[in-house]
Amino acid sequence: MSEITLVIDGVECKGSQGDTILQVARANDVYIPTLCFMDGLTPIGSCRMCVVEAEGSNKLLTACTSPVTEGMKILTKTDRLIQYRRQILELLFAGRNHFCMFCSQSGDCELQRLAIEHGMDSVRYPFLYSDFHNDASDPNIQVDHNRCILCLRCIRVCSEKVGAHTLDLEKRGWGTTVTADLGQQLGKSETCVTCGACAQVCPTGTITLRDFVYRGRRTDCDSQVETLCPLCPVGCKIKAYVRTGSVVRVEGLSTASADGGQLCSKGRWWLPSSTERERLAVPMIREGSSFREASWDEALSLVAEKMTPALESGKAGALISEISTDEELAVMSSFFRDTMKMDKVDGFYGNQLRGFVEGFKPFARQGVRPFTGAHHILESDAILVLDADPQEEAPVVASYIRVSTIIGRAKLVNVSSGKNPFEGITDADLRVSGKEMKALLVALREGGAGGAVPENVKGALEILKGAKKPIVVLGSNLAKTPELVTEALNLAVACGAPFDDGLAVVPMFLASNSLGALNTVTGGKDWLSEGDLDFLYVHSTGMVDEDTHSLNAMTRARFVVVQTPFMVHPLVQMADVLLPVPAWFERSGHYCTLEGDRRKMNVVVPPQGNLKGLGVIMKELAAKLGRTLQEASTAPCENVYVAKAAPDKAQIVTTKEVR
Amino acid sequence: MQIYRSHILVCGGTGCVSGGSKDVIDEFQKELERRKLDKEVLVVHTGCHGMCELGPIVVVYPEGTFYCRVQKTDVAELVEEHIYKGRPVSRLMYAGSEEMPVVPHYKEIPFYSKQERIALANCGYINPDNIDEYIARRGYEGLGKVLSGMTPAQVIDEMKASGLRGRGGAGFPTGLKWSFCAASKGDKKYVICNADEGDPGAFMDRSILEGDPHCVIEGMMIGAYAMGADEGYIYCRAEYPLAIQRLKTAIAQAEEYGLLGQNIMGTDFSFTVHIKEGAGAFVCGEETALMASIEGRRGMPRPRPPFPANSGLWEKPSNINNVETWANVPRIMVNGAEWYSSMGTDKSKGTKVFALTGKVKHTGLVEVPMGITLREIIFDIGGGILDDKKFKAVQIGGPSGGCLTEDHLDAKVSYESLTALGAIMGSGGLVVMDETTCMVDVAKFFLTFVQKESCGKCPFCRIGTKRMLEILERITAGEGKMEDLDTLEQLALMVRTGSLCGLGQTAPNPVLTTLKYFRDEYVAHIKDKKCPAGACTALVKYSIDPAVCIGCTKCARNCPASCIAGEVKKPHVIDSEKCIRCGNCKEVCPVGAVSVE
Repeated sequence: MSEITLVIDGVECKGSQGDTILQVARANDVYIPTLCFMDGLTPIGSCRMCVVEAEGSNKLLTACTSPVTEGMKILTKTDRLIQYRRQILELLFAGRNHFCMFCSQSGDCELQRLAIEHGMDSVRYPFLYSDFHNDASDPNIQVDHNRCILCLRCIRVCSEKVGAHTLDLEKRGWGTTVTADLGQQLGKSETCVTCGACAQVCPTGTITLRDFVYRGRRTDCDSQVETLCPLCPVGCKIKAYVRTGSVVRVEGLSTASADGGQLCSKGRWWLPSSTERERLAVPMIREGSSFREASWDEALSLVAEKMTPALESGKAGALISEISTDEELAVMSSFFRDTMKMDKVDGFYGNQLRGFVEGFKPFARQGVRPFTGAHHILESDAILVLDADPQEEAPVVASYIRVSTIIGRAKLVNVSSGKNPFEGITDADLRVSGKEMKALLVALREGGAGGAVPENVKGALEILKGAKKPIVVLGSNLAKTPELVTEALNLAVACGAPFDDGLAVVPMFLASNSLGALNTVTGGKDWLSEGDLDFLYVHSTGMVDEDTHSLNAMTRARFVVVQTPFMVHPLVQMADVLLPVPAWFERSGHYCTLEGDRRKMNVVVPPQGNLKGLGVIMKELAAKLGRTLQEASTAPCENVYVAKAAPDKAQIVTTKEVR
Repeated sequence: MQIYRSHILVCGGTGCVSGGSKDVIDEFQKELERRKLDKEVLVVHTGCHGMCELGPIVVVYPEGTFYCRVQKTDVAELVEEHIYKGRPVSRLMYAGSEEMPVVPHYKEIPFYSKQERIALANCGYINPDNIDEYIARRGYEGLGKVLSGMTPAQVIDEMKASGLRGRGGAGFPTGLKWSFCAASKGDKKYVICNADEGDPGAFMDRSILEGDPHCVIEGMMIGAYAMGADEGYIYCRAEYPLAIQRLKTAIAQAEEYGLLGQNIMGTDFSFTVHIKEGAGAFVCGEETALMASIEGRRGMPRPRPPFPANSGLWEKPSNINNVETWANVPRIMVNGAEWYSSMGTDKSKGTKVFALTGKVKHTGLVEVPMGITLREIIFDIGGGILDDKKFKAVQIGGPSGGCLTEDHLDAKVSYESLTALGAIMGSGGLVVMDETTCMVDVAKFFLTFVQKESCGKCPFCRIGTKRMLEILERITAGEGKMEDLDTLEQLALMVRTGSLCGLGQTAPNPVLTTLKYFRDEYVAHIKDKKCPAGACTALVKYSIDPAVCIGCTKCARNCPASCIAGEVKKPHVIDSEKCIRCGNCKEVCPVGAVSVE
């Protein structure tokens, strides 16, 4: 990249070939007002607020789209430009019904900020008071078109980052409005994934999220904390807004990042709403059909009392949520495995994880990292979705797939036993029963060399053959048959185009810190289904519903201790002792994400009252049992699929040895 | 090959088809068969002759006798008299001036005698559905010449030497544009034909596509060869079904002859072409919006750079030219750049097709050499103002163009001269206005159009034009204020400089030129509350001159608002309060007693 020197407002600035005037100006701390521009979205130069003058030209250039050239002399604050900008603001204000005192976003609004900045104290045109639609059809998202300035940010984020392309424009001229699908109200949209990204990027009060709208504007909040969303293995980076001790709003961190600053519907709504849920504040002990409050000392003594005989008879188990941080998992592991020497320790998603691990094993043995960062889907030109439903499993991965397919023009092949989760955008759609899956994967790998290929498979085959950077997405369902996982990896190896960090495979782990759980709490086998237990210790984060498999085991166990931050039903009904733990916003720690990096979770709201950290609880419990909490023998994420060999050295394996 | 002693050419353009030319063709066929003349005389349906106002048009060769307004019922007489007995039917001929009451021949009609038909060379001469007729008139010769003996660089040099400039409006030198796309690196390139003719009143592109579709295809192929493209799109508005149908036929025939497809004429050059039907948005004539529309997205312009030559359709290097531009290309290749550049002015070479409409005697399509004056077009070719009223203004370049006055009639037509006067060449719409046209109303009309057609992307175009329109509406309703004119002018200038694309940048032109040349009319609307042309209904007043009125009661009987009172044989009176200014009374008055002011 060749360096370019230019002068902006008399200041000599340096930029690179391909940079826009705005980029160079910002890098050099020259302020240019913008409205439709947003980092990470395609600049469209539509609002005209960023117009600048270039010496020697009468034309006005939009700074957000005009590339810099050597020797340019740019002026950003001439009287003429200020007049233009003010004119635009007046047109926008008088154009629709922008009455700040009635708007929930007043104070947060970028249009309002610009108007104040430009001293726009009056509008020279009469207001039109036109009656645009206020679309309240969606239970979560409200769209008041009267406040829309058509910056098209929502449309761009919806298509460029979420890949849903729910929003676009309808009509022309004066009455042009944002619409969903082909002229639907948002609530009736079939494509909307209710992720709320549109509201996050809206500069005015047009698109708002009902849950947050009157709980506090961004500027009213006491603090903003960067942390991560612990709900799925993507681990999106978020900013949590806190007001009077509650999380009132969460937003994706940056539209410029790979995930585009989007959140899925889970992260957007579950996280803030969880601060309003009923908390478990003190330890409780069951008394008949209800609970009574107890002191920590009493509760832990009771736990120890029940645990001791069960340990001796080998009928004590521990079920640990994999949504926990690495640090929490390490504490649990050190307590149950190293201190209490229990063998019946597992995570809620143990079976699924073991399935994947088993399938990965032949490749792990080769020293190859058997998967890659999920955002690599955006770089691939062919995506094979194997029995997956990413919109359910990890919704942002579904966004990656849609964006890569629609914007990046990658080919999309779906192989599933059930419905096609990407109906309408798949290039090849193969429906097979579980039994036929293996043969199909082999046929795809061998490229038809093994004999005649059915007609419908040919299309998929062509796509994989023609792809330079194919990627395979493994559904969580696939983990039930490790052999298929191995075959899927074989196929990825055969395609011969791994990413730098591992094979071109994205597994849909269900729990957010599955990789952290592998070394620590995931057991060697499924003891949960076997026989009854005298004692079961359950650690839940209360963020996702427990599966029936685990609930059944709890029903069968004689004595159940449940550690949870929330009064989650039906979990609490299973308990004999309830122990409170900090909720997601009161904890810090690390998660090993699908994106391939270890991300930090921070304390958003400090824990209040009688809460104890997990480390303290386990240490006290160990003392009650007459032990000292041992150092953890394994560290989470350590040595978990660390690449020892380059991914392009991976060899295809036979699946005979795999179960 | 069958030899015919005579050819009857019947116009099959949209205008003449709606005038009944299909029936005329059938009737000729029947009549000739009945007289057993069908082996001697061939009936051909052709493209547009340009003089649509006089359609359906029939030309009989070899004499070149020109008949107009021919109906089905005239056919028997024409065959009987002209074909059978050899006596041309003067009744159906063009009515000329006093010294020449009947003009029998095509070339003698003043409408045609000053024209120089290059882009329209074949329109009206050949059957557009027959590739052989196109080939017989040197069709695909240019392509043959290019493929057999010229390098792409030579083709571009030839185009540059010809001086051809984009006929879509902006007038960018075609050869230069091609050289950008040719220089752009890429394994895949596209050539695109912009046939999204959206200007109200303009129909030159439609006529070319309907009358001579092959020349557009050939032009695109020559361009594709020069720029290294192998695929083309013709973006044609869906409101042109006949053009689309003829294009489809032409493409199928060219494919059958091996003139489209792989290894054309035995060379390495391959080319395929697709038709994309537009959905009727004016803004899709803007090249970046057009490409977005082909890609299946909403047709909205985007800022340039990147220019289409570097990143166009599907981000591949692309070149867009309009129909008329492409149509000129084969002829330049056959006859040479020198021939083409010998016509026109210093900087604007060749010819331009104009759609002449409005208050002019002969409306229609005219192709004239650049450098001709507006007076020649309007008065010599167009035959002057309808009903010999007084010429007032001419609007050039469609809704984005400007209004020029009597003072500009002797200006030579070229890209530079029109831009200097505040109008634009545009796609070539020429709307002639007489003394009964109100210039504020005209500005309002065109602004209403662009305001409705704004894609909605940038505030200046979307809201600015709306606010300008509101001011004009106020003025024409008699509610204007003098300071409105300043606001209007200020806003217009900002919309012109501040808008994203050509639509917004040129939208204020009708307002700015009328403000410049007809400011007194604006002032009359505001200060005197009067419309000098009597066109703005809110400002006119109908009254009956009691000295002239004979009391026939016709006006009262025809008044839809029942606001005219009066006894039989006594002068009538109009109640101005109730009057809805429909003008019925003025129309029906047998003695001209109703006046408007």
